Amino acid sequence: MSTNTTARSMGRSPFVLVVGVVLTWFIAAFLVWPNVNILIATFFPDGSFSGRAAEKLFSSQRAMKALGNSFLLAVALSITVNLVGVFIVLVTHYFRIRGSRILFLGYASTFIYGGIVLAAGYKFIYGDKGIVTTLLVKLIPGMDPGWFSGFFAVLVVMTFATTTNHMLFVANALKGIDYQTIEAARNLGASTWTILRRIVLPMLKPTLFSVTILSFLTGLGALSAPQVLGGRDFQTITPMILTFTNSPTSRDLAALLAVILGVATMLMLAVMSRLEKGGTYFSVSKVSSELQKQDITNPAANVAVHAVAYLLFAIYTLPVALIVLYSFADGAAIQTGQLSLANLTLDNYVRVLTQQSGLRPFIVSVVYSALAAVIAVGGLLFVARLLQKYKNWVASAFEYLLHIPWILPSALLALGLIVSYDHPNPLVGGAVLTGTTVILLIAFVTVKIPFTLRMLKASFASVNSSLEEAAAIMGAKTMYVFRRILLPLVLPAAAAITALNFNSLLDDYDTAIFLAHPLVQPLGLVIKANTDGAEGTEGIANTFVYTVLLMIITGVTMYLVYGRSGRRRARKQLPMESPGPQASGPVLPGTQAPGEDDAARPAAAVR
Amino acid sequence: MRKLQTLVAAAVAVTLLAGCGGGSTPPTSTGEATGAPAGGSGDTLVVYTNSNGEGRGDWLAGKAAEAGFKIEIVGAGGADATNKLIAEKNNPIADVAFGLNNMYFSQIKNEGALEAYQPAWAGDVDKGLADGETYWPLVKQAILLGYNSDKFTKEAAPKDWTDLWTKDEFKDRYERVTGLGTATAQLVFAGILSRYRDDSGDLGISDDGWKQVEQYFKNGSPAVAKTDLFARIASGEVDMGQMPSSIIAEREKSFKVNVDTVIPTVGVPLAVEQIALVKGTKKKEQAQKFIDWFGSAEVQGEFAQKFNSMPVNKAAQAKANPDVVGFFADLKQQDIDWGFVQKNMGAWVEKIELEYMT
Repeated sequence: MSTNTTARSMGRSPFVLVVGVVLTWFIAAFLVWPNVNILIATFFPDGSFSGRAAEKLFSSQRAMKALGNSFLLAVALSITVNLVGVFIVLVTHYFRIRGSRILFLGYASTFIYGGIVLAAGYKFIYGDKGIVTTLLVKLIPGMDPGWFSGFFAVLVVMTFATTTNHMLFVANALKGIDYQTIEAARNLGASTWTILRRIVLPMLKPTLFSVTILSFLTGLGALSAPQVLGGRDFQTITPMILTFTNSPTSRDLAALLAVILGVATMLMLAVMSRLEKGGTYFSVSKVSSELQKQDITNPAANVAVHAVAYLLFAIYTLPVALIVLYSFADGAAIQTGQLSLANLTLDNYVRVLTQQSGLRPFIVSVVYSALAAVIAVGGLLFVARLLQKYKNWVASAFEYLLHIPWILPSALLALGLIVSYDHPNPLVGGAVLTGTTVILLIAFVTVKIPFTLRMLKASFASVNSSLEEAAAIMGAKTMYVFRRILLPLVLPAAAAITALNFNSLLDDYDTAIFLAHPLVQPLGLVIKANTDGAEGTEGIANTFVYTVLLMIITGVTMYLVYGRSGRRRARKQLPMESPGPQASGPVLPGTQAPGEDDAARPAAAVR
Repeated sequence: MRKLQTLVAAAVAVTLLAGCGGGSTPPTSTGEATGAPAGGSGDTLVVYTNSNGEGRGDWLAGKAAEAGFKIEIVGAGGADATNKLIAEKNNPIADVAFGLNNMYFSQIKNEGALEAYQPAWAGDVDKGLADGETYWPLVKQAILLGYNSDKFTKEAAPKDWTDLWTKDEFKDRYERVTGLGTATAQLVFAGILSRYRDDSGDLGISDDGWKQVEQYFKNGSPAVAKTDLFARIASGEVDMGQMPSSIIAEREKSFKVNVDTVIPTVGVPLAVEQIALVKGTKKKEQAQKFIDWFGSAEVQGEFAQKFNSMPVNKAAQAKANPDVVGFFADLKQQDIDWGFVQKNMGAWVEKIELEYMT
């Protein structure tokens, strides 16, 4: 770490000052002020505090049970997602597995879809009328067709649904590992398992910590999987929060529940930050080399790993295949689970795509999401860098403030923005923001800040600090170091974050419903109008069509950001290497970011 | 510089956004779409509604354009639209709101977000269905208990909601809600709880009334997300549950089931969809003209014809589906004190969610 990390030293750098001023304004105007406003309106309805909410909640058996379930799920997911996530990353990027490119594509299916349709997809397969269940019941007479429900089912579905961050970020960090350390260990007689445990996993620590926080958060906020598969016994707290948010007289309960979840998330964050301080491991070699795929030497283990890898592949891909298939069926067939190939038509697509609004909501959403994703990542690049470099109380305070959007449900964030900016407000130069196209963009950027920050910080953390020091010694200025050394190293991660932000904002409803300009309505509102209310037959079919259409958009996004830019980078920046695919992993050829040519690249840049 | 690139990209995209502002709406709005408050965007009326699904929004926009109104429909669920109108009351974006029921509108009115207006057709509707001042009735909807008539004869079927949990043959055979966020569910409970009004009881309801709620949740089969009640009836999981009158005919056809409805002796609760002028609209005159047009016998009649709805406007009923009109002619409406219900609904929902839903 750099030596100047005290709060006072921060004030001496003009770079820090500029970023600091902008950040302070942004946090004050869009994170603190609106949310303080809405929380005051919620908890002090008549100007005096009422403890009503806590009393009501803590005496409600259902609320306490649901809250307990959410926490249980959060803790369980933090473990299971890491297990599955690390396994699939190793299978696709570390071990030599036959067909790893195909496996990667299967595991990557979670990049492009999620939510209620994903849960429904699993239900088509393992639910009481599902394909696998029907098969199993025939094989094992007396088996309970309702086996796939409750906590177990929710955990399984959510585990497989949320390995996206592992596939993107952990894989990325893995590729940054210096192969020489692995070779050295092997020469010293270390087994495959020892190398994994003592070298590979420790190097992945910063990234694993970050994705663990995300898994925890996903578990806490679980909504659709418990609704579809939880049954009577396993319902979570989020549906209750949403109901209470919508009812003005119960909004204090929603806010209190959200704050409880928020505080838990912050505690998790604090614990993880503490663990993270325990040390990040870097390779000490000055000329590092690229990771090469490892053979699994034990034949039995090799067969077992292959078998599990392909089983997981089937689990990942079956729901997607069925969702695409069902999107051509009529709504009644989807809900009763009776699919016959003869009944598949294009009617659903014709209906959805020939609406009066046509493609416009798609364009609006693409533009809004792209802008928000780029602004969030672009702005936070500087911030994450500073937070990672300066470890003092000022930096920590900023970091925690930037996580505010994780504490409150997005509907409350939106309401906060409305009540704060429906009149000329000096914080934004006396402008009125409600009814403009800007306010939704602000909200979109805001909700993406915590995730962006966490992942960017993790990727800065895995950059070897000696590079920076070397550049500084040779006289490079702060901005120069940032631009020519750090930026190229974190760019793959930044691109992945941008793509994920973009994808997740495309069908946003919770924020857009309150903030969208009436003439520029994004896709989420149209989807809601076509899928909700009395669910009916068309509604459910439309849900599937929109899911498939979104899959196409998000799939293209991932390809553009990953497939193409990665390849281009590989050619442009690493001319000295043979761009052979054997070394760089299947679909993400050039994304081996931090470290892999640490020594070569910055040296060239400084020269 | 990276930042510069971002800025340029942002600028380009904002221009794009402005461009699509004019995509399918009248070109007059293009300029103002970026930055300017919606209130100033040409003379396009902004209409909030929860009644835009299943093609209704597109139909209305088309008809309105023929009549010379430029409207932009913003669709949102009942609760969302209500919260939005209330949150925006200091700087309203909408000019007109319609489709929400009397409970939602009275909530919005209490927050001072509606402006009084007497539409030209006020004489053609039953004033008792609204407040006779700010919001005016358009469409009636009965909230019914429906059952699979292939399984139950009229005699064997339940006679009232309370039969569901007091008679063994219906236990676990009816679908019960898993959340009280929807208007339909709230109206079902308004209908049940109103019968047990007791000013000394908790939230104005007697202990016996709360016991009914407890039993309702205890003995019902919980609704399944994204699976329609009719789908569950078709597959035999359940045989009965709550349903608004307007959807029955279409769902029977799609799921190939036959459903009959229960008319309890106390009658059935009605949801009445309303229309109102938003306070602070900058296009008041235009908005009032729109309300006069939309609620008129002609437009309501066409709407009823197209979407099988039951218009409140008496002159429009001639054009509506005769089966629908006939059904409502025989229907006994439950006598509900809406003032009482509206005052307590928030607290009821909260109590039920916290204490009785399992």
